[in-house]
Amino acid sequence: MKNPIKKIFDDTKPLFTGDGKYHKYEPVWDATKTFFFLPSPKTTVMPFVRDCLDLKRYMSIVILALLPVTIFGMFNTGYQSGIATGQEYSVLDCFLVGAWYMLPMIIVSYGVGFLWEFLFAIVRRHKISEGFLVTGLLFPLTLPPTIPLWQVALGISFGVVIGKEIFGGTGRNILNPALTARAFVFFSYPVSMSGDIWIAGKDFVDGITGATALAVTGYEGQAIGAALSDSGYSLSRLFLGLVPGSVGETSALCCLIGALILSVTRIANYRIILGGIIGLIVTSALVYMIPGGQETWANAGPLYHLCAGGFLFGITFMATDPVSAPGTNPGRWIYGFLCGFLTVTIRVANPAFMEGAMLAILFMNVFAALLDHAVMKYKMSKRIPNV
Amino acid sequence: MEKIEIARGFTPQLTGKPDLTMIQVPLPQRVGVSAGDIPFIRPKLLVREGDSVQTGTPVFTDKRDRSINYVSPATGRVEKIVFGKRRRLKEVVIATETIDDFVPFEPVSRDALIDMPKADLVDHLKKAGLWQGLRQFPAGDTADPESTPAMIIVSMNGNDIFSPHPVNVLKGNGEDFHTGLALLHRFSHRIIVTLRESCLKAIQQLDSGIAEQITHVTEDTYPAWNPGAVLYQIKQNQAENASWHISLHHLVMLGQFLSTGKYPTHKVVTATQTGTHRPHMKVRQGTPLKKIAGHVAPDSLVTTGQFNGRCLEPDSHIGFFENTINILDDADGEEMFGFVRPGLDKPTVSSSFLSSVFKRPQIMDGTLHGELRACINCSYCERICPVDLMPNFIMKALHADEVEEALGLGMMDCCQCGLCSYTCPSKIELAKILSNGMESHHKDKA
Repeated sequence: MKNPIKKIFDDTKPLFTGDGKYHKYEPVWDATKTFFFLPSPKTTVMPFVRDCLDLKRYMSIVILALLPVTIFGMFNTGYQSGIATGQEYSVLDCFLVGAWYMLPMIIVSYGVGFLWEFLFAIVRRHKISEGFLVTGLLFPLTLPPTIPLWQVALGISFGVVIGKEIFGGTGRNILNPALTARAFVFFSYPVSMSGDIWIAGKDFVDGITGATALAVTGYEGQAIGAALSDSGYSLSRLFLGLVPGSVGETSALCCLIGALILSVTRIANYRIILGGIIGLIVTSALVYMIPGGQETWANAGPLYHLCAGGFLFGITFMATDPVSAPGTNPGRWIYGFLCGFLTVTIRVANPAFMEGAMLAILFMNVFAALLDHAVMKYKMSKRIPNV
Repeated sequence: MEKIEIARGFTPQLTGKPDLTMIQVPLPQRVGVSAGDIPFIRPKLLVREGDSVQTGTPVFTDKRDRSINYVSPATGRVEKIVFGKRRRLKEVVIATETIDDFVPFEPVSRDALIDMPKADLVDHLKKAGLWQGLRQFPAGDTADPESTPAMIIVSMNGNDIFSPHPVNVLKGNGEDFHTGLALLHRFSHRIIVTLRESCLKAIQQLDSGIAEQITHVTEDTYPAWNPGAVLYQIKQNQAENASWHISLHHLVMLGQFLSTGKYPTHKVVTATQTGTHRPHMKVRQGTPLKKIAGHVAPDSLVTTGQFNGRCLEPDSHIGFFENTINILDDADGEEMFGFVRPGLDKPTVSSSFLSSVFKRPQIMDGTLHGELRACINCSYCERICPVDLMPNFIMKALHADEVEEALGLGMMDCCQCGLCSYTCPSKIELAKILSNGMESHHKDKA
């Protein structure tokens, strides 16, 4: 018996291919079809057997790794909203309220982003790459739940068009598109991103400061650790993620689960994640040892730096984007380490940009090619020449 | 005996391993002299349709060096000359006669071999149509007799994972093997004989001093025994880049020819297919594919090495350089929601399917399992390359016409194992791109 879905595609094929009425929209039709039916054309040149891993699978695994942070983010958005509005939410309520805020963001991000993808694919007559599947989910996860949806739409448009498509699409971009989109929103609409109104539904109640952990500083003479605890940012809460923040980034635990999935399946390179964590720990420990400034983040120590803010989310899901990361293993170690180093440096030295991870990773994206170049030159010098 | 270990490479859980028993396939009615499997050749025909040929009569030569002959493996009449696209010679089909009438050559004993002038020896082998068994690195062209190779690598195992077991090639041919080695010693001081670890025991049980000649045992990870991979592991300096290599089959054939003065007409081949255990077969050179593979379903892909052979058409014949036929059954093609399936039996080098946890036999089919995409720099190709190349960067250098850069990255070390293309999630034809790059560089130098 013929698969009824397959029949739909077989029936519509003449319309979309060749001289069909809608042949312009073939990429859209093709993307839909290949979503349902994994294409597998015959090999024509050696090797005649091929691995089963393709980009669809590759990106699906990243989505899988993102599920813990997404689901937890949904819960936490509702949970924080409940605290802020002084209502007793059950777990289900938390999810529902969280979904009420998050789903529109995700839908807008995917919807607008795919619109651009389709547009470029139609104009340039190429297939739609799977890269956006990840970008479209990553971007809303880096935003606060209170962000206006038009900013989500504008951000993802910038990320997809300027961050990726003008370079030629997935695989050819210099910067991570999701981070580019976030940086655009961050610098264009600082009020939405300032961290003061990050709790969904907070408008109803005054008197609760909604500042994220990274915006906290101690008053004169108070240690940063104590200040954080006073504001409700104990280390365990930061680790679990039951704090206000961008929807996806709050839980260090869920990010670590994602990192584990990505490393075990070898979809992301563990060297970047590990290098980044080492870089962050080493740098924050060094800064910790410098006397003075005990009320600032300089004195927070490695654990707070690790668990607060978006570092773990960034290093796990953003820095490991293979396209914008270096393609050589030594390069990956250095790249990861410097991401961690720069994150702490920005957090400590420039409190105007509380979230150092985003800028650190974008900065290192630019240097990825240089790291590769250096590693390649070194490797070339080690080979026995064969010309 | 040294052990060669490669840090990379890949061991697929394949089925279809040939059985060690051997059967003799009778002389087919037609044999073919194939030009499709000969690297770099520009064939020049020496016969016309209707001509009669003896066993050993030159059928075509190489325009680049007309002293090299490709000869008929049987006696009979030239029935058909098959051309491919742009009138490129594909093969010469010969209708066979049951009694072989050999082109006579003077036998050369092992002692005479040592005293014979080198030029005469080369001439002798070229006339017999056997010199081309010796190949020269890096591109794999016919060995240049003017040069003195730093070493000659004898590969006991073939290009495919299931190529004929060396024991079946050597059985009864021990003396020819030693004669062949004596011949190689005339051309180089250093002879490397490599064998897959899993075949060592069986070779040691052969009682003719063959095991003592083995210099290197390679691990069983594909493609550790590939001569290019072996050279990469053992080479010390630049001069060794132009070493030669020869397969065990051709070495034994050289020995047979020298001792008998007759063209060696037979070879051992295997046919592999998922779920079968076919015996090794002793066949006439140039036997039609159908006689070796039996019935093949029309949609199957037939190759002479699943990773680095060529694709055979149903009515073609096995070539001088080929010993394995892989029958890759047609797959269902478009699998519904294929990208989210757990994939218990999906072959993969990644860990993104459950097959990487449960080591079950995996089914290989001749499809891409995806579509061409841009390179995402994931470096799966680098992770698997047995000669430590970065195929993705070489590919990019070649695209940018930066040949110097590609050479610096070691392009000419590529051993054509095909694993980079195999593993690429973007389904980029890396091995083909690299081999095109090597070929054009080789042609530029020539």
